[in-house]
Amino acid sequence: MAHRIGRRKNVKKGFQFTLMVVGASGLGRTTFINTLCDADVVPKRESDEPDMAHVEEGIKIKPYTVELDEDGVKISLTVVDTPGFGDMIDNEYCFQEILGYLERQYDDILSEESRIKRNPRFRDNRVHALLYFITPTGHSLREIDIELMKRLSPRINVIPVIGKADTFTPGELADFKKRVMEDIEHHNIPIYNFPYDPEEDDEETIEENSELRSLLPFALIGCEEEIMVNGRKVRGRQYPWGIVEVDNTQHCDFAKLRFALLSSHLQDLKEITHDYLYENYRTEKLSRTAEMSE
Amino acid sequence: MAPTQVGTGIGIANLPNQRHKIVAKNGSNFTLMVCGESGLGKTTFINTLFTTTIKTPRTYKRRFNKTEKTVEIEIIRAELEEKQFNVKLSVIDTPGFGDYTNNRDSWMPIIDFIDDQHESYMRQDQQPKRNELSDMRVHCCLYFIRPTGHTLKPLDIEVMKRLGTRVNLIPVIAKADTMTPTDLHKFKKRILEVIAAQNIQCYTFPLDSDDEASTKRNMSIMAAMPFSIIGSTEDVVTADGRTVKGRQYSWGVAEVENEDHCDFKKLRQLLIRTHMLDLIHSTEESHYENYRRTQMETRKIGEPKVKTVTNPKWKEEEEALRKRFTEQVRLEENRFRSWEQQLIAERDRLNKDLEAEHSHIKALEAELEAMQAGLSPKRK
Repeated sequence: MAHRIGRRKNVKKGFQFTLMVVGASGLGRTTFINTLCDADVVPKRESDEPDMAHVEEGIKIKPYTVELDEDGVKISLTVVDTPGFGDMIDNEYCFQEILGYLERQYDDILSEESRIKRNPRFRDNRVHALLYFITPTGHSLREIDIELMKRLSPRINVIPVIGKADTFTPGELADFKKRVMEDIEHHNIPIYNFPYDPEEDDEETIEENSELRSLLPFALIGCEEEIMVNGRKVRGRQYPWGIVEVDNTQHCDFAKLRFALLSSHLQDLKEITHDYLYENYRTEKLSRTAEMSE
Repeated sequence: MAPTQVGTGIGIANLPNQRHKIVAKNGSNFTLMVCGESGLGKTTFINTLFTTTIKTPRTYKRRFNKTEKTVEIEIIRAELEEKQFNVKLSVIDTPGFGDYTNNRDSWMPIIDFIDDQHESYMRQDQQPKRNELSDMRVHCCLYFIRPTGHTLKPLDIEVMKRLGTRVNLIPVIAKADTMTPTDLHKFKKRILEVIAAQNIQCYTFPLDSDDEASTKRNMSIMAAMPFSIIGSTEDVVTADGRTVKGRQYSWGVAEVENEDHCDFKKLRQLLIRTHMLDLIHSTEESHYENYRRTQMETRKIGEPKVKTVTNPKWKEEEEALRKRFTEQVRLEENRFRSWEQQLIAERDRLNKDLEAEHSHIKALEAELEAMQAGLSPKRK
């Protein structure tokens, strides 16, 4: 409940939220970002020269900031894209790059906090949530999926999502989601699973969070173009056998995820980042420095 | 010399029929390899192609027990019969390929397998008795490309380059029902550009044939490369009431045998109906002969091949063993060195004692002489 009261106070000032998207190329990451913001935030990938296609480029970290208006609430959303993840023959190096970026943001805050005279307009670049795009193989999690989520969850709220979910029939999707969650539990990966307290929270919150938890990992479909369906304009993909609609909750979980990220759970994600993840990092780092100076 | 036309039929024209009888009785053997990351529909495709469960779908119960990071070669054998003609089918699967964080050299087991089949055939052919040859040479390799919509990955390029020179390589776009027709068209074009730029050899076949219909069909098949495929062994009902093999989505049914939906029919035509013989022949006459020629230029008949084991898992073990070995050698050397030091110290000590004794003896001798010298003058 507390986060709702906080919202009313901040409505005029607006919110700031940073989201990172990670996943192999071809899973709809860029399209998702553009669909989420309803604008061409990330430019379409330039066609590389065919004779350079064998060159492994490595991972790049690219932040983009966009101003959104959600039902009258202003949100300054920064999306950090990570093209090149998982595209090389040997991908061991990717994890450290991303982890390094996240920890640098924490380091910036740490050093700013410790200043005698602090800058009131200091920009907080900490990343509040990470959407990890799972490849829709239809089997279970791959080694790289498990490694990434394991290594990054101590530093950031990890939310697993399934990219290009229109690969699956409804039965296949349910089976795949089940197996992914089994894998996550087996490997003890602490993802962000919309936590609630059955004793403290009210019924509405419990219901809302259980529903979102049951949808994990979110099945996403992205599309920037609009097409005509039965006389209305919708965002969707046109196949010879039918049309998939992005905003239709029967077809995918995009709408629910968007609402959770930008409205209902935005504050919760920020609080966990600040009160828990950042605090852990701070403790670890300061005890390490203390040990080294002994 | 121009052939002479025989006047009234003596029966030479019946030779093809006789040959047909012999071939029909012997049956044929066909080896197909499917290569690609897991989750691209390889097993489903095989079962769809041969309309029977050649390979059972994976069970997930034991996935938590697997700890090794290997690329394996799995051989599934089946015997198919249609109208009393037998085909001994072998399907080679490559589980583990492309599935790990580090896929460096993961293509080695696959390449080694293909070369080994050529090698095995060559060795058997060189034996005195060669009527019962076991021939597992791979006639065709289907490489499954992930439908990213962008381009080929560096891993795809590395493997396809190596496969193309050893086997008939046919690239296919897996799970093509993920892509809209425009996206698919762009993707195919990109892939063909990359294949050309990277000098990857794909399977080609002669387009011209005797009748027009065949030529046209051949051209349309070639134009569809890389083939987009959808696999399904289930029967579903479409919106207009037909029962077809397909995939039922909330928004429609994607049909396997509908040429507007995917190129499955064309690929099946190529693999089975029209070009299976060409695939077998080009493997025997071109790829095998290449292999044989390069091997025989450097080896004598009957000599075994120099083998290098290159499975990536074993490389890691080799490294670990090597490290342990060097460590142990270092420890032993240290031990010997300190032992040597001790011996030298001991020797020096003993030498000193010896010297001390020597000088003592000399002193005594001198004393004796002195005493003897002192004694003799007194006697006089």
